[in-house]
Amino acid sequence: MELMKLEIITPNGMIFDGEVKQVTLPGSEGEFGVLAHHATLVSLLETGVIVYDRADGREVAVAINSGYVKVDEEKTTCIVDGAVALSGDDTDISKALEAAKSLLKSTEASNTAIAAAVSKVEQIGKSF
Amino acid sequence: MANLKEIKRKIGSVKNTQKTTNAMKLVSSAKLKRTEELAKRSRVYAAKLTELIEEIAQKMQNSSAEGIDNVYFKDVPNPKVVDIVFITADKGLCGGFNSQTIKRVNQLIAKYKENDVKVRLRAVGRKGIDYFKFNNIELNDEVIGLSAAPDFKQAAALISEVATAYVSGETDKIVLVHNGYVNMITQEIKEDQILPIDTSKLELNKVSSSELEVEPDDDDTLLNALVKRYVEYTMYYSLIDSLAAEHSARMQAMDAATTNAKEMVKELTVKYNKARQESITTELIEIISGMESMK
Repeated sequence: MELMKLEIITPNGMIFDGEVKQVTLPGSEGEFGVLAHHATLVSLLETGVIVYDRADGREVAVAINSGYVKVDEEKTTCIVDGAVALSGDDTDISKALEAAKSLLKSTEASNTAIAAAVSKVEQIGKSF
Repeated sequence: MANLKEIKRKIGSVKNTQKTTNAMKLVSSAKLKRTEELAKRSRVYAAKLTELIEEIAQKMQNSSAEGIDNVYFKDVPNPKVVDIVFITADKGLCGGFNSQTIKRVNQLIAKYKENDVKVRLRAVGRKGIDYFKFNNIELNDEVIGLSAAPDFKQAAALISEVATAYVSGETDKIVLVHNGYVNMITQEIKEDQILPIDTSKLELNKVSSSELEVEPDDDDTLLNALVKRYVEYTMYYSLIDSLAAEHSARMQAMDAATTNAKEMVKELTVKYNKARQESITTELIEIISGMESMK
Protein backbone atom coordinates (compact mmCIF):
# COMPACT_ATOMS: atom_id res chain seq x y z
CA MET A 1 0.00 0.00 0.00
CA GLU A 2 1.28 3.40 -0.88
CA LEU A 3 2.38 5.60 1.98
CA MET A 4 1.60 9.27 2.60
CA LYS A 5 2.85 11.88 5.01
CA LEU A 6 0.93 12.71 8.15
CA GLU A 7 1.58 15.54 10.58
CA ILE A 8 -0.27 16.07 13.83
CA ILE A 9 0.50 19.39 15.46
CA THR A 10 -0.66 20.73 18.80
CA PRO A 11 0.16 24.04 20.49
CA ASN A 12 2.72 22.12 22.52
CA GLY A 13 4.55 20.84 19.50
CA MET A 14 4.43 18.17 16.88
CA ILE A 15 3.24 14.82 18.19
CA PHE A 16 3.50 12.85 14.98
CA ASP A 17 5.37 13.41 11.78
CA GLY A 18 5.85 10.44 9.53
CA GLU A 19 4.60 8.06 6.89
CA VAL A 20 1.30 6.29 7.26
CA LYS A 21 -0.80 3.94 5.19
CA GLN A 22 -4.12 5.52 5.97
CA VAL A 23 -5.77 7.82 8.49
CA THR A 24 -9.32 8.14 9.77
CA LEU A 25 -10.38 11.58 10.96
CA PRO A 26 -13.36 12.80 12.99
CA GLY A 27 -14.60 15.55 10.64
CA SER A 28 -17.36 17.92 11.67
CA GLU A 29 -19.55 16.49 8.91
CA GLY A 30 -18.77 12.93 9.83
CA GLU A 31 -15.84 10.59 10.09
CA PHE A 32 -13.79 10.11 6.96
CA GLY A 33 -10.78 8.14 5.88
CA VAL A 34 -7.86 9.40 3.86
CA LEU A 35 -5.51 7.40 1.68
CA ALA A 36 -2.58 8.60 -0.40
CA HIS A 37 -3.50 10.90 -3.32
CA HIS A 38 -6.65 12.16 -1.70
CA ALA A 39 -8.09 15.31 -3.28
CA THR A 40 -7.30 18.61 -1.56
CA LEU A 41 -9.61 19.17 1.35
CA VAL A 42 -9.90 21.33 4.42
CA SER A 43 -12.18 20.35 7.25
CA LEU A 44 -13.01 21.13 10.81
CA LEU A 45 -12.30 18.33 13.24
CA GLU A 46 -14.54 17.56 16.15
CA THR A 47 -13.98 15.85 19.45
CA GLY A 48 -13.02 12.31 18.62
CA VAL A 49 -10.24 9.96 17.73
CA ILE A 50 -7.77 10.07 14.86
CA VAL A 51 -6.69 6.55 13.87
CA TYR A 52 -3.78 5.90 11.57
CA ASP A 53 -1.88 2.86 10.35
CA ARG A 54 1.83 3.29 10.59
CA ALA A 55 4.15 2.04 7.90
CA ASP A 56 4.95 -1.05 10.02
CA GLY A 57 1.26 -1.93 10.14
CA ARG A 58 0.69 -0.84 13.75
CA GLU A 59 -2.49 1.02 14.43
CA VAL A 60 -2.20 4.17 16.53
CA ALA A 61 -5.02 6.27 17.94
CA VAL A 62 -4.88 9.91 18.97
CA ALA A 63 -7.70 11.39 20.99
CA ILE A 64 -8.29 15.06 20.13
CA ASN A 65 -10.64 17.76 21.35
CA SER A 66 -10.97 19.91 18.25
CA GLY A 67 -8.99 21.21 15.34
CA TYR A 68 -8.57 21.41 11.60
CA VAL A 69 -7.23 19.19 8.91
CA LYS A 70 -5.72 20.01 5.56
CA VAL A 71 -5.41 17.15 3.13
CA ASP A 72 -3.62 17.30 -0.16
CA GLU A 73 -2.15 14.79 -2.56
CA GLU A 74 1.07 14.24 -0.65
CA LYS A 75 0.39 15.25 2.89
CA THR A 76 -2.23 15.36 5.62
CA THR A 77 -1.76 18.06 8.24
CA CYS A 78 -3.84 17.98 11.40
CA ILE A 79 -3.79 21.11 13.51
CA VAL A 80 -5.41 20.23 16.81
CA ASP A 81 -5.91 22.03 20.11
CA GLY A 82 -5.21 19.14 22.40
CA ALA A 83 -4.23 15.56 21.76
CA VAL A 84 -3.29 12.41 23.61
CA ALA A 85 -1.65 9.58 21.68
CA LEU A 86 -2.53 5.98 22.45
CA SER A 87 -0.19 3.47 20.93
CA GLY A 88 0.56 -0.15 21.70
CA ASP A 89 4.17 0.48 22.59
CA ASP A 90 3.28 2.76 25.45
CA THR A 91 4.20 1.10 28.70
CA ASP A 92 1.73 3.19 30.60
CA ILE A 93 -1.31 2.70 28.45
CA SER A 94 -3.79 2.98 31.29
CA LYS A 95 -2.45 6.39 32.18
CA ALA A 96 -2.67 7.51 28.56
CA LEU A 97 -6.22 6.22 28.40
CA GLU A 98 -7.17 8.23 31.46
CA ALA A 99 -5.55 11.35 29.99
CA ALA A 100 -7.39 10.80 26.71
CA LYS A 101 -10.72 10.39 28.46
CA SER A 102 -10.31 13.49 30.57
CA LEU A 103 -9.28 15.46 27.46
CA LEU A 104 -12.41 14.31 25.63
CA LYS A 105 -14.65 15.08 28.57
CA SER A 106 -13.24 18.59 29.00
CA THR A 107 -14.49 19.75 25.59
CA GLU A 108 -17.63 21.67 24.84
CA ALA A 109 -18.89 19.14 22.31
CA SER A 110 -22.30 17.53 22.68
CA ASN A 111 -22.67 14.73 25.18
CA THR A 112 -23.32 12.12 22.53
CA ALA A 113 -20.17 13.06 20.64
CA ILE A 114 -18.13 12.82 23.82
CA ALA A 115 -19.71 9.51 24.78
CA ALA A 116 -19.01 8.09 21.33
CA ALA A 117 -15.40 9.23 21.47
CA VAL A 118 -14.90 7.90 24.99
CA SER A 119 -16.31 4.49 24.11
CA LYS A 120 -14.05 4.38 21.10
CA VAL A 121 -11.05 5.16 23.27
CA GLU A 122 -12.09 2.42 25.69
CA GLN A 123 -12.36 -0.05 22.85
CA ILE A 124 -8.91 0.85 21.61
CA GLY A 125 -7.62 0.48 25.14
CA LYS A 126 -8.92 -3.09 25.27
CA SER A 127 -7.29 -4.05 22.02
CA PHE A 128 -3.78 -3.49 23.34
CA MET B 1 40.55 55.89 60.33
CA ALA B 2 36.82 56.42 59.94
CA ASN B 3 37.37 56.75 56.25
CA LEU B 4 39.02 53.33 56.10
CA LYS B 5 36.12 51.65 57.79
CA GLU B 6 33.64 53.37 55.53
CA ILE B 7 35.38 52.18 52.39
CA LYS B 8 35.54 48.66 53.72
CA ARG B 9 31.82 48.68 54.39
CA LYS B 10 31.15 49.98 50.92
CA ILE B 11 33.20 47.20 49.37
CA GLY B 12 31.18 44.67 51.30
CA SER B 13 27.90 46.10 50.15
CA VAL B 14 28.95 46.25 46.50
CA LYS B 15 30.13 42.67 46.71
CA ASN B 16 26.74 41.65 48.02
CA THR B 17 24.99 43.44 45.19
CA GLN B 18 27.27 41.68 42.79
CA LYS B 19 26.23 38.34 44.21
CA THR B 20 22.55 39.21 43.79
CA THR B 21 22.89 40.41 40.23
CA ASN B 22 24.93 37.38 39.32
CA ALA B 23 22.31 35.07 40.77
CA MET B 24 19.56 36.90 38.88
CA LYS B 25 21.53 36.52 35.70
CA LEU B 26 21.85 32.78 36.22
CA VAL B 27 18.15 32.41 36.99
CA SER B 28 17.22 34.36 33.88
CA SER B 29 19.47 32.35 31.63
CA ALA B 30 17.94 29.13 32.92
CA LYS B 31 14.42 30.46 32.43
CA LEU B 32 15.33 31.77 29.01
CA LYS B 33 16.33 28.32 27.87
CA ARG B 34 13.00 26.90 28.96
CA THR B 35 11.00 29.69 27.34
CA GLU B 36 13.01 29.43 24.16
CA GLU B 37 12.16 25.75 23.94
CA LEU B 38 8.48 26.54 24.44
CA ALA B 39 8.62 29.20 21.76
CA LYS B 40 10.26 26.82 19.34
CA ARG B 41 7.54 24.24 19.81
CA SER B 42 4.72 26.76 19.47
CA ARG B 43 6.20 28.23 16.32
CA VAL B 44 5.40 25.10 14.30
CA TYR B 45 1.74 25.34 15.20
CA ALA B 46 1.57 29.04 14.41
CA ALA B 47 3.23 28.50 11.04
CA LYS B 48 0.84 25.72 10.03
CA LEU B 49 -2.17 27.71 11.13
CA THR B 50 -1.09 30.71 9.09
CA GLU B 51 -0.51 28.45 6.11
CA LEU B 52 -4.03 27.11 6.35
CA ILE B 53 -5.58 30.56 6.62
CA GLU B 54 -3.58 31.67 3.62
CA GLU B 55 -4.88 28.80 1.58
CA ILE B 56 -8.51 29.38 2.45
CA ALA B 57 -8.20 33.11 1.93
CA GLN B 58 -6.64 32.35 -1.42
CA LYS B 59 -9.56 30.16 -2.34
CA MET B 60 -12.09 32.79 -1.35
CA GLN B 61 -10.22 35.41 -3.28
CA ASN B 62 -10.22 33.25 -6.37
CA SER B 63 -13.88 32.43 -6.16
CA SER B 64 -15.22 35.97 -5.90
CA ALA B 65 -14.28 39.10 -7.76
CA GLU B 66 -14.61 41.53 -4.87
CA GLY B 67 -11.93 39.78 -2.90
CA ILE B 68 -12.45 38.19 0.45
CA ASP B 69 -15.83 38.87 1.92
CA ASN B 70 -15.37 38.14 5.57
CA VAL B 71 -15.66 40.31 8.64
CA TYR B 72 -12.12 39.46 9.72
CA PHE B 73 -10.62 40.51 6.44
CA LYS B 74 -12.44 43.74 5.63
CA ASP B 75 -9.94 46.51 5.59
CA VAL B 76 -11.03 49.73 7.23
CA PRO B 77 -9.23 52.62 5.56
CA ASN B 78 -10.11 55.16 8.25
CA PRO B 79 -10.47 53.44 11.57
CA LYS B 80 -12.42 55.31 14.22
CA VAL B 81 -11.60 53.23 17.26
CA VAL B 82 -8.41 51.26 17.68
CA ASP B 83 -7.64 48.77 20.41
CA ILE B 84 -4.02 48.56 21.43
CA VAL B 85 -3.05 45.49 23.40
CA PHE B 86 0.47 45.65 24.78
CA ILE B 87 2.62 43.31 26.79
CA THR B 88 5.19 44.34 29.37
CA ALA B 89 6.86 42.41 32.14
CA ASP B 90 5.55 42.17 35.69
CA LYS B 91 8.99 42.88 37.06
CA GLY B 92 11.69 45.40 36.38
CA LEU B 93 15.47 45.12 36.44
CA CYS B 94 15.60 44.20 32.79
CA GLY B 95 17.17 47.23 31.17
CA GLY B 96 15.07 49.14 28.71
CA PHE B 97 12.77 46.22 28.04
CA ASN B 98 9.59 47.70 29.45
CA SER B 99 10.27 51.33 28.67
CA GLN B 100 10.81 50.52 25.00
CA THR B 101 7.39 48.95 24.74
CA ILE B 102 5.80 51.83 26.60
CA LYS B 103 7.57 54.28 24.34
CA ARG B 104 6.23 52.57 21.25
CA VAL B 105 2.71 52.52 22.68
CA ASN B 106 2.97 56.23 23.38
CA GLN B 107 4.11 56.87 19.83
CA LEU B 108 1.17 54.87 18.51
CA ILE B 109 -1.26 56.76 20.69
CA ALA B 110 0.16 60.06 19.46
CA LYS B 111 -0.09 58.91 15.86
CA TYR B 112 -3.71 57.86 16.20
CA LYS B 113 -4.67 60.95 18.19
CA GLU B 114 -3.36 63.07 15.35
CA ASN B 115 -5.86 61.44 13.04
CA ASP B 116 -8.69 61.75 15.55
CA VAL B 117 -8.84 58.08 16.24
CA LYS B 118 -10.06 56.93 19.60
CA VAL B 119 -7.55 54.63 21.24
CA ARG B 120 -8.41 52.04 23.83
CA LEU B 121 -5.58 50.48 25.76
CA ARG B 122 -5.39 47.00 27.15
CA ALA B 123 -2.34 46.24 29.25
CA VAL B 124 -0.75 42.96 30.17
CA GLY B 125 2.00 43.17 32.77
CA ARG B 126 2.42 45.21 35.92
CA LYS B 127 5.07 47.58 34.63
CA GLY B 128 2.96 48.89 31.78
CA ILE B 129 -0.08 49.21 34.00
CA ASP B 130 1.89 51.14 36.61
CA TYR B 131 3.22 53.56 34.04
CA PHE B 132 -0.12 54.43 32.48
CA LYS B 133 -1.86 54.62 35.83
CA PHE B 134 0.81 56.99 37.11
CA ASN B 135 0.27 59.20 34.09
CA ASN B 136 -3.49 59.05 34.50
CA ILE B 137 -4.12 57.40 31.18
CA GLU B 138 -7.16 55.21 31.16
CA LEU B 139 -6.71 51.49 30.63
CA ASN B 140 -9.59 49.36 29.42
CA ASP B 141 -8.21 46.14 30.68
CA GLU B 142 -5.42 45.19 33.05
CA VAL B 143 -3.95 41.76 33.42
CA ILE B 144 -1.23 40.95 35.91
CA GLY B 145 0.58 37.64 36.10
CA LEU B 146 -0.03 36.53 32.54
CA SER B 147 3.22 37.83 31.13
CA ALA B 148 5.31 35.91 33.64
CA ALA B 149 3.47 32.64 33.03
CA PRO B 150 1.76 32.55 29.63
CA ASP B 151 -1.39 30.47 29.76
CA PHE B 152 -3.29 29.69 26.60
CA LYS B 153 -6.74 29.78 28.15
CA GLN B 154 -6.21 33.13 29.81
CA ALA B 155 -4.63 34.62 26.73
CA ALA B 156 -7.49 33.36 24.59
CA ALA B 157 -10.08 34.78 26.98
CA LEU B 158 -8.39 38.16 26.95
CA ILE B 159 -8.05 38.46 23.21
CA SER B 160 -11.44 37.00 22.34
CA GLU B 161 -13.04 39.76 24.35
CA VAL B 162 -11.21 42.24 22.16
CA ALA B 163 -12.06 40.26 19.04
CA THR B 164 -15.74 40.23 19.95
CA ALA B 165 -15.68 44.00 20.18
CA TYR B 166 -14.15 44.03 16.73
CA VAL B 167 -16.77 41.74 15.22
CA SER B 168 -19.61 43.76 16.72
CA GLY B 169 -18.15 46.87 15.15
CA GLU B 170 -17.11 48.56 18.37
CA THR B 171 -13.51 48.74 17.24
CA ASP B 172 -12.10 48.88 13.75
CA LYS B 173 -8.63 47.62 14.36
CA ILE B 174 -6.65 45.66 16.90
CA VAL B 175 -2.94 46.20 17.30
CA LEU B 176 -0.68 44.13 19.50
CA VAL B 177 2.59 45.61 20.73
CA HIS B 178 5.25 43.60 22.49
CA ASN B 179 8.98 43.40 22.83
CA GLY B 180 10.00 40.25 21.02
CA TYR B 181 12.93 37.94 21.27
CA VAL B 182 15.47 37.91 18.45
CA ASN B 183 18.47 36.25 20.05
CA MET B 184 20.34 36.17 23.35
CA ILE B 185 21.44 39.78 23.06
CA THR B 186 18.78 41.43 20.94
CA GLN B 187 15.14 42.25 21.51
CA GLU B 188 12.96 43.90 18.98
CA ILE B 189 9.70 45.78 19.36
CA LYS B 190 7.01 44.06 17.37
CA GLU B 191 3.80 45.72 16.34
CA ASP B 192 1.27 43.36 14.81
CA GLN B 193 -2.06 44.19 13.36
CA ILE B 194 -4.18 41.35 14.65
CA LEU B 195 -7.51 42.25 13.12
CA PRO B 196 -8.46 42.84 10.39
CA ILE B 197 -6.04 40.30 9.02
CA ASP B 198 -3.54 42.05 6.87
CA THR B 199 -3.91 40.38 3.50
CA SER B 200 -0.81 42.09 2.19
CA LYS B 201 1.22 40.01 4.60
CA LEU B 202 -0.25 36.73 3.47
CA GLU B 203 1.16 34.93 0.50
CA LEU B 204 -1.90 34.82 -1.65
CA ASN B 205 -0.41 34.13 -5.02
CA LYS B 206 0.41 30.51 -4.76
CA VAL B 207 -1.22 28.39 -7.40
CA SER B 208 -2.85 25.38 -5.86
CA SER B 209 -2.69 22.18 -7.78
CA SER B 210 -6.27 21.13 -7.28
CA GLU B 211 -9.59 22.55 -6.28
CA LEU B 212 -9.76 22.95 -2.53
CA GLU B 213 -12.78 21.36 -0.97
CA VAL B 214 -14.00 22.77 2.30
CA GLU B 215 -16.04 21.03 4.92
CA PRO B 216 -18.45 22.24 6.39
CA ASP B 217 -19.48 23.49 3.02
CA ASP B 218 -19.58 27.18 3.70
CA ASP B 219 -16.24 28.93 3.85
CA ASP B 220 -17.24 31.37 6.54
CA THR B 221 -17.78 28.82 9.29
CA LEU B 222 -14.37 27.32 8.83
CA LEU B 223 -12.61 30.60 8.25
CA ASN B 224 -14.21 32.16 11.32
CA ALA B 225 -13.15 29.25 13.47
CA LEU B 226 -9.67 29.38 12.03
CA VAL B 227 -9.28 33.11 12.45
CA LYS B 228 -10.50 32.92 16.02
CA ARG B 229 -7.89 30.32 16.77
CA TYR B 230 -5.29 32.29 14.87
CA VAL B 231 -5.96 35.43 16.89
CA GLU B 232 -5.89 33.53 20.17
CA TYR B 233 -2.73 31.81 19.24
CA THR B 234 -1.00 34.98 18.09
CA MET B 235 -1.74 36.47 21.49
CA TYR B 236 -0.39 33.41 23.27
CA TYR B 237 2.68 33.25 21.12
CA SER B 238 3.37 36.95 21.67
CA LEU B 239 3.25 36.34 25.40
CA ILE B 240 5.85 33.60 25.09
CA ASP B 241 7.95 35.69 22.77
CA SER B 242 7.77 38.59 25.18
CA LEU B 243 8.73 36.39 28.11
CA ALA B 244 11.77 35.08 26.25
CA ALA B 245 12.75 38.64 25.40
CA GLU B 246 12.25 39.69 29.02
CA HIS B 247 14.58 36.99 30.26
CA SER B 248 17.22 37.77 27.68
CA ALA B 249 16.98 41.48 28.50
CA ARG B 250 17.28 40.76 32.19
CA MET B 251 20.21 38.47 31.59
CA GLN B 252 21.99 41.22 29.75
CA ALA B 253 21.14 43.89 32.31
CA MET B 254 22.28 41.71 35.16
CA ASP B 255 25.45 40.77 33.33
CA ALA B 256 26.26 44.43 32.89
CA ALA B 257 25.43 45.11 36.54
CA THR B 258 27.74 42.31 37.67
CA THR B 259 30.58 43.66 35.55
CA ASN B 260 30.01 47.15 36.89
CA ALA B 261 30.00 45.90 40.44
CA LYS B 262 33.26 44.08 39.83
CA GLU B 263 34.85 47.26 38.54
CA MET B 264 33.54 49.22 41.47
CA VAL B 265 35.03 46.75 43.92
CA LYS B 266 38.34 47.11 42.15
CA GLU B 267 38.25 50.91 42.37
CA LEU B 268 37.20 50.85 45.97
CA THR B 269 39.98 48.41 46.85
CA VAL B 270 42.55 50.75 45.33
CA LYS B 271 41.04 53.59 47.28
CA TYR B 272 41.10 51.52 50.44
CA ASN B 273 44.76 50.64 50.00
CA LYS B 274 45.67 54.22 49.37
CA ALA B 275 43.86 55.36 52.49
CA ARG B 276 45.55 52.62 54.51
CA GLN B 277 49.01 53.62 53.28
CA GLU B 278 48.24 57.22 54.00
CA SER B 279 47.28 56.49 57.56
CA ILE B 280 50.46 54.44 58.08
CA THR B 281 52.59 57.22 56.68
CA THR B 282 50.96 59.77 58.95
CA GLU B 283 51.47 57.53 61.94
CA LEU B 284 55.14 57.01 61.09
CA ILE B 285 55.71 60.71 60.68
CA GLU B 286 54.10 61.30 64.04
CA ILE B 287 56.34 58.73 65.75
CA ILE B 288 59.50 59.99 64.08
CA SER B 289 58.79 63.61 64.85
CA GLY B 290 57.98 62.63 68.42
CA MET B 291 61.36 60.93 68.74
CA GLU B 292 63.12 63.92 67.14
CA SER B 293 61.64 66.27 69.68
CA MET B 294 62.81 64.11 72.60
CA LYS B 295 66.45 64.33 71.52
